[in-house]
Amino acid sequence: MTTTRRFMCGLAAVAAALLAPPAPAQTTAPPEGRLLASNCFQCHGTDGRRGFEQINGKSQTEIYSKLKEMQSKQPGSGDWDIMVPHAKGYSDAQLLKISQYLSTIR
Amino acid sequence: MNYTRRTWLTAAGAVGFSAALTRCGGGDPLAPATTDAASAPLADAARSTRTAPTVVKSTTGRVVIVGGGMAGMAAAKYLRVWGGSGVQVTLLERNASYTSNILSNLVLTGQRTLSSLVYSYATAKQAYGIDIQQGAVTAIDPINRTVAVAGRTTPLQYDRLIVAPGVMFDTLIGLESPEAKDRVVHAWQAGPETTKLRNQLVAMPDGGTFVMTIPKAPYRCPPGPYERACVVADWLMRNKPKSKVIVLDANPMPTAERHTFETAFYGIFANILTYVPNVSISSIDATGARVVVHTTVVPDGPVDFIGDVVNAIPPQRAGKVVLENGLAPGGLWAPVKPATFESTVAAGVHVIGDSCSTASAVLPAGVPKAGHIGNQEGKTAADAIIRAFRGLAPDTDVVINSACYSPITASTASWLTAVYQYDASGNGYRMVNAPASEATNPTADGYQDMNTWFNTLMGETFA
Repeated sequence: MTTTRRFMCGLAAVAAALLAPPAPAQTTAPPEGRLLASNCFQCHGTDGRRGFEQINGKSQTEIYSKLKEMQSKQPGSGDWDIMVPHAKGYSDAQLLKISQYLSTIR
Repeated sequence: MNYTRRTWLTAAGAVGFSAALTRCGGGDPLAPATTDAASAPLADAARSTRTAPTVVKSTTGRVVIVGGGMAGMAAAKYLRVWGGSGVQVTLLERNASYTSNILSNLVLTGQRTLSSLVYSYATAKQAYGIDIQQGAVTAIDPINRTVAVAGRTTPLQYDRLIVAPGVMFDTLIGLESPEAKDRVVHAWQAGPETTKLRNQLVAMPDGGTFVMTIPKAPYRCPPGPYERACVVADWLMRNKPKSKVIVLDANPMPTAERHTFETAFYGIFANILTYVPNVSISSIDATGARVVVHTTVVPDGPVDFIGDVVNAIPPQRAGKVVLENGLAPGGLWAPVKPATFESTVAAGVHVIGDSCSTASAVLPAGVPKAGHIGNQEGKTAADAIIRAFRGLAPDTDVVINSACYSPITASTASWLTAVYQYDASGNGYRMVNAPASEATNPTADGYQDMNTWFNTLMGETFA
């Protein structure tokens, strides 16, 4: 199947090159962090505008430092809430991507 | 369905260029070029603040979605929000509206009406331009990329198919007849059975016994059965205090929020509720004045439990359309590639929500079957499909998160959360910091948060 498909796609690509105008020069990758940040929307609404707390449109630093602060809290402490273990589930690189993306949406 | 033979025939026969082109993941390259600006109302808001690329490749493609539940609707919405108007989305759903399973246990206690859990398809249809049609899919042809719809002569063409039918329920031995099915309901699909179980509880005499059975995991909504046991016990304590609750669990312990549920079972509900783990049900006899559940309990051996009201939640498997179209070769769940939710047995077909399984021999747990998770699976599949239409590789920095609130009494609720990270090995998802975290104890604030969570999740999915 795979070989056949590759072959057919190869043929198709040749045909497309012959028949169609030149392909657009650039493909757009989805914005970095968009899919990761969409995990927030179940509780904070589409684009982070509703629900528990508005999380969109703040600076990346503000969102990131808030998430890092949550990560530092320990079980049994007074301010242990659902966001604490939740934030602990993401890597630093992921939190940076999420906060960057959330800072760009309105 | 014999894929090998059909694949061979397709390869031997002539495949039109246009068909081959759409299968290369590039959409239709011969279609007039459009920029993302053409889909401005639906376009990702971030674009307005980013430097616009000089040439933007349009995203075009046809997606058919089977099933308008938590997963299917999230996929439909985000295909349009993220993909723009070039992504045509047709969603087929058997029912005219959606009834939420989440919070349907509160219908049993009279705290919510069933109609308060009903969501219309009209909002998303209008807001996002999703072509939502009432209809049932009868057959999937993954080679020619078509789906047949009951009562229609022409099949629907797709570039990508998303299958999200939820679960199908096994029939327990003894409950084959319509009379037995009517007497012993599962109410694990919110609807008429939920009302039926509510009425049975209302009619049960004070001093009666309510027996419920829980299947082995995986099943839909891990904390759900334990939540039901709690809210029914709480309701009986206040309304029919001489009554008893017996919970027969096929699992060795609560499959979610163990601390919360064991604390409740052996604490506030200790005088009314008996929790029996490691139970396998042999059969249920619903012919007499009271219902008899024949079981084998480890290590005690055969035990019969007798109830005035018996609520048997049977084992579950993937939806009928998944099973009948060969998407679940093992006969239970549809195996999928974890980063994209594309079926491992049919290219171009994504299975999301309760019907799919991300489990593998290396990571055997798989992400749980739950509405909040189904919503994220829908977004993950939507992102993967849009990338494929643009000729991009799938994202592998994928996280599926779980957050869930459970009512424990009429005024308190607990929560759980877990984060599932895509494993770079490609074998599935790994729960970070297992086991899942849960609330220290159920609280009144938690009950308010539960309503906020529910309303936001349903808005995110249906509006």
